[in-house]
Amino acid sequence: MSTTNGHVIEARNISRVFPMSAGPVTAVADVSLEIRPGDHIAIRGPSGCGKSTLLHMLGCVEPPTAGTLLFRGDDVTKLSDRQRSLLRLRQIGFVFQRFFLLPMLTAAENVELPQSEANVPKAERRQRTQELLEYVGLAARAAHRPSELSGGEMQRVAIARALANNPGLLLADEPTGELDRATGEQIASLLDRVNADGTALVIVTHDPALAERSTRILSMRDGRIESELTSA
Amino acid sequence: MNAMGFAWRSLVRQPARASLGVLGVAAVGALLFDMLLLSQGLVISMRGLLERTGFDLRVTATDALPGQGPLIPNAIERSQAIAHLPSVRSAIALRFANAVVLAGGPRGVYTTFQGVAGTGAVHPWTILRGRDFTSGRPEIVINENTAARTQLAPGSRVMLRGSCTDQAQALPPVPFIVSGIAQFPFDSPNGTTIATSLPMLATACGGNESNEADVIMVASQEGAGASAAVSDVARLLPDLHVLSNAEAVNRFERGGFTYFRQISTVLTAVTLSFAVLLITVLLTVSVNQRLGEIAALRALGFSRGRVVADVFCESVLIVGGGGLLSLPAGALLAIGLDRILKRIPGIPADVHFFVFEPSTLQIHLLLLSATAIVAALYPIRIVTRLPIAATLRDEVVG
Amino acid sequence: MWVRCLLALIGAALIASATLHAADTLPSVLISRQLSEGEHLSVGDVIRLSASEDGSNVRQFRVAGVYEPTPDPARLGAVIREVQLHLPDLLGLTREPSVPSGSEYVETINVALVDPNDAEAFSRDVRARMPGIDAQPASGAAESTGPFIVLRRFHLAIAIVTVVASTVFLLALTIMLVDERRAAVGVLRLIGLPIRRILLQLFLEGVLIAVVGSMFGLALSLVSEGIINQFFQWRYDTALVFVRVTPQVAAVCVAIAIPLGVSATVVASWALLRRNGLRLARR
Repeated sequence: MSTTNGHVIEARNISRVFPMSAGPVTAVADVSLEIRPGDHIAIRGPSGCGKSTLLHMLGCVEPPTAGTLLFRGDDVTKLSDRQRSLLRLRQIGFVFQRFFLLPMLTAAENVELPQSEANVPKAERRQRTQELLEYVGLAARAAHRPSELSGGEMQRVAIARALANNPGLLLADEPTGELDRATGEQIASLLDRVNADGTALVIVTHDPALAERSTRILSMRDGRIESELTSA
Repeated sequence: MNAMGFAWRSLVRQPARASLGVLGVAAVGALLFDMLLLSQGLVISMRGLLERTGFDLRVTATDALPGQGPLIPNAIERSQAIAHLPSVRSAIALRFANAVVLAGGPRGVYTTFQGVAGTGAVHPWTILRGRDFTSGRPEIVINENTAARTQLAPGSRVMLRGSCTDQAQALPPVPFIVSGIAQFPFDSPNGTTIATSLPMLATACGGNESNEADVIMVASQEGAGASAAVSDVARLLPDLHVLSNAEAVNRFERGGFTYFRQISTVLTAVTLSFAVLLITVLLTVSVNQRLGEIAALRALGFSRGRVVADVFCESVLIVGGGGLLSLPAGALLAIGLDRILKRIPGIPADVHFFVFEPSTLQIHLLLLSATAIVAALYPIRIVTRLPIAATLRDEVVG
Repeated sequence: MWVRCLLALIGAALIASATLHAADTLPSVLISRQLSEGEHLSVGDVIRLSASEDGSNVRQFRVAGVYEPTPDPARLGAVIREVQLHLPDLLGLTREPSVPSGSEYVETINVALVDPNDAEAFSRDVRARMPGIDAQPASGAAESTGPFIVLRRFHLAIAIVTVVASTVFLLALTIMLVDERRAAVGVLRLIGLPIRRILLQLFLEGVLIAVVGSMFGLALSLVSEGIINQFFQWRYDTALVFVRVTPQVAAVCVAIAIPLGVSATVVASWALLRRNGLRLARR
């Protein structure tokens, strides 16, 4: 894959319009941004401002209806669904507000699942799973199912799963939305660590405290990036 | 974890639902299996029975089935002429009548009465005890039911009154000696049958028409085959009608047997529709309850093909598990249904309605496979068209 | 020249008239629709009938009409090639030359009573007055015929298996339906509603679904009754009715379906309600 200026993602005037029965709705309008390796970006804004839609576009889940989106130099809009799936599998990690762990699998099996799909050999993925669970502090809970874990533990397993195939980019949509403050703080610290270890991180959040941990804070309103704050 | 392992874990997650799905498929699968057995069972059984009699041709006066049409005149001479054909091993003339055996009660026992004449030693029955009758002597063989009801045994003397026409007759009884107990292949379970030589039958019926028969049964030479014998007999006796076993079975199939073929077709269609409906609903509800998980997996990089394979494998597991259970269940059900249908009056005891053939199993597997595929189509459509982002949003809002 | 033409015309007319007159004097018969279609016969045609396989003793008859044979299940699949004659004509056709006229017999006499309800009493009376004659009401004939009893048992066995499979299906469906609402049920339990109250609501929902479903099923069976009958009547060229949804059959089906549906809902709900409310409410 070619790289353009070393950016992980380069979005140029991307928009997303949803056709509705009452008329088209522009969720994201004319947004341009770059994400570099190791970036720690927070996207904040009021409910319905389009931040989750923007995150989904950056994660190649939803293609833009206008504009250009490059992932490591490749135009995502020209990729097939299968190619986008492979890209997400190997290069992008997702963490969701609702965790979305598979309830019939153990914590270890949840972390192994993306590796299995990426055809990682069994021994290697077992090793990696062990390492990731240790990384998130849940090596002792590997054999437990999600129903036996607390909310914070489930989110940590979800983060381990998102890192399973060593992605260069981790996208988190309200990762502390369903957690109490103390647990949210733990998750935030873990995400900081992930970013410090070299993974670019984009977080959508309502939580100002979580947003302030980022080096770049994008404020959105009505589908547009209103402002960008950069901290040292 | 491959798709099959994933599907297994998904099913085990909801054991009650999965078990009921498997049981439901087992029940309809059993019925489906039985209908497949029924669709050809009677024909296969009748064909086997005809072949076991040892005769593969039947010659009649018209195209009516033996016993239902006019008699063949000069039957003994004609059967002898047929027996001399190079493609024929043996030929016997057979006549059907009725008789009352004056034993076993004040009114006697009403029986079917067969008279046989021919050069061959083979008769269309199997001697169980005693011996076959000797031609020219007033001897009869009787079946087990007759023996039980009349308390007759080989060596017993008995009087019987014959009736060879549809009209009421008051013929004098004629004495006979029971030479043996025989098994007649076309006997119904409670049927009573006796047999003697054709001239002795004619004697019991008043002495007239001793040279007429309902059918001439022919066994072809092993090397020649039935077709050659049919041609030779037709050339020899162009005024008579020749029917091979295969043609007789075809006639049965087009006639009374056709009802069972049709009902098996209708019930096969109904059971398949039922199974498809059951599995489709199970899978669709299961998928709809997991839309968030499926969207998350897609977001994590699982391809459409992979989630489709997961759903399809679930269908295969339910249908496969139910299909395996359906075989012993179907076999048991077939035994019960066969017992019911064999009580139809006139059905030979050796004829079965449900007969197993390896091809039945193949068709059963094929139909179940098609069921698994068709049932998975709608839930597969749901997962392939699932809007990932919208679903994730809805899950959060929900 | 014109005289010769006139004479030829008159001759032709006389021959035609004689033929018509001859046909008119022939005894008439009715033929079955199947025979008419198979042999391309129509009303007015003259046919020759013989009761002997060698074609002897042939007599001519005129086709007076074409009729639809009474549907006979015992002759399913057979092509009904029938001719209906006046009894004296049939006796004359089938009588052996050595048998004097008047000594023939018939197998049955069909009797239509003024009051059909008298059939049983009438039959007893005939049997008592005429020894050697067997009289039976026609309405019991079909029921007493062996094959129909056996086929009824066969269909009943099939129906039982179908009901078992349907019950399994129903249970699976209700478990899924109830399970979809586990969170709502869990919340209701947590806020203090007793099990009985929730169960009553689910029971009433089950009754409604079962009743509506039964009605739908009945409507579906009535539609399929028509389709199945049409198909088999076409397939076998018969007027036999193969499927009939009688009020009694409908009542039995509804009487089975509604309790089954309600029971399935109650069983599925009871299994759910026995669990802890907190577990139910948690996703």
